[in-house]
Amino acid sequence: MFAYSVNMAPSTAQFFNEVLGERTHVKKELANIHDLAWDVVDKELLSLCKLRMAMILGCLQEVDSAKQYLDPSKSGAIAQWVSSDNFTSGEKSCLRFAEEFIIDVSSIPDNSAFAVREYLGEEGFVTFVNALLVVEQRMRLLLVWNKILGDNSG
Amino acid sequence: MTRVQRVESSSFNPLFREALSRWQEEVVQLDLVDPVTTEMVRLRCAEHHDCYT
Repeated sequence: MFAYSVNMAPSTAQFFNEVLGERTHVKKELANIHDLAWDVVDKELLSLCKLRMAMILGCLQEVDSAKQYLDPSKSGAIAQWVSSDNFTSGEKSCLRFAEEFIIDVSSIPDNSAFAVREYLGEEGFVTFVNALLVVEQRMRLLLVWNKILGDNSG
Repeated sequence: MTRVQRVESSSFNPLFREALSRWQEEVVQLDLVDPVTTEMVRLRCAEHHDCYT
């Protein structure tokens, strides 16, 4: 269906562009909220959370994409973030929240939410949650559309 | 876990908030899925997200 050679995996943005085709308004707004998510949340912090979410969801392309903005010492240790000294307590709070967010969003414990709120402030917390939502939904769309339309993960 | 609101205000970056609203508006205007299925999915998502608004 797509105009890519076997060995040339398109970027996620290219993939979305082709899947959404002539639905230009949706395509534009999706790209816009994704770009804005990275503007309103610290890029390294969001990359950490994106990487962890992509690992858990099995979204290999986004794993690679998230790693490019991270120090290898952090991206290499992220599966052991709980016991690792490479992450600050604030980063650990956000990673815990991100994991719980994708596994069971309606059951995130108060302590997890309050820790992130304390780290980022009230408005920062709300912004962070909305940015996580954008990154997570885009990743899930990528996974589902890959299944339906053909694997884009390379 | 409690069901109390965890933040005093749900306000956040206005540009981001408006962009999210525009995205949602564009999504609900898509008409390739029939209204009943769309509503079932919407309700299921609301339940999953513990959203009662």
